Amino acid sequence: MTEDNSFMSGLPELAILRLLTNQEMYGYEIVQAIAARTGAALSPGEGVIYPLLHGLEKSGALKSRRKSVSGRSRVYYTLTTKGARRLTTLTTRWSELHGAVLALMGGSLAVR
Amino acid sequence: MPFDNLRETLLKGGIAPRHVRRYIAELCEHQEDLAAQQREAGHDEEDALIRARARLGSDEELAVAMLEQKQLRSWTARAPWAVFLLLPPFAAIAIGMVFVGTLVLIGKYYDFLEKDAPPPQWFQILAIDVVAAANLVIMPLAAALFVAMAARQRLKLVWPLVATLLLLTLFIHSDVNFLPRKTGQLTIGAAPIFMASAWKMMAEHWPTVSAQYLLTFTPLFWLAHRRRARS
Repeated sequence: MTEDNSFMSGLPELAILRLLTNQEMYGYEIVQAIAARTGAALSPGEGVIYPLLHGLEKSGALKSRRKSVSGRSRVYYTLTTKGARRLTTLTTRWSELHGAVLALMGGSLAVR
Repeated sequence: MPFDNLRETLLKGGIAPRHVRRYIAELCEHQEDLAAQQREAGHDEEDALIRARARLGSDEELAVAMLEQKQLRSWTARAPWAVFLLLPPFAAIAIGMVFVGTLVLIGKYYDFLEKDAPPPQWFQILAIDVVAAANLVIMPLAAALFVAMAARQRLKLVWPLVATLLLLTLFIHSDVNFLPRKTGQLTIGAAPIFMASAWKMMAEHWPTVSAQYLLTFTPLFWLAHRRRARS
């Protein structure tokens, strides 16, 4: 997995890894869950979630399996041990960034 | 077919066919879910489909997102020179080994090859037939393999052409001989075309060699014809 230091990089990846920590989900579910949990503030283009999922699977952070549920066949994704380590790294990075922004704003992120 | 333009863009962009296939399948499934959601919200069928497609993203957005994932590119797209220049000899030898290996295994199983006597008539006939078939199958099959890889990845015609020419240059032709009162001798010729022995073999077996060359070029002709028909 390549390190990308652009400002928003890793955020969709963080969201996906976090959502898949305790359960397996398919693409549509992941998009809906991200939109619901972030109040649609972080809602990636719905179709573009799949290249991210494929990339994460290729790098070993996720694994997938095709499963039939209610007559519909879907690709379900789950987190791997490598993915869990990646999640820890990303969480730490974003916590540091969050702390830095808070400090910059004088302890409050409220919009005046 | 849904997402036809997207499929072509991704394959031409070097994304591995299996990832493209799965991406398109997942997009179709996602679109169905979105359309169902829109219908539940009270939109009619046509409107629901239009809204679902819009929420999925434009073809360009969907293509860019996938093309950014460099690790999803296939080897034929990343290093076509390696696939179409280095692999053909190995592919031809591997296919050839299936034929020769089968004969050797049968010969060893019945203990024909170690004895100081020619093998029985049935094995000689089998060997001659298998080797004759191998001549018409090895190179055409190897060429078809590389044409199929190029077709799947939408590569330029030059790459399968290079692989086919390489196979023909290597000139793999098999022949089998059984010497009287001696052990069976199976000879396989794989001389480069610029060597005298290859020319001698070609002159001796010209009808088979002509058929071999024609069959080897057939997959390439097919691909060229198909592309011309589509353009």
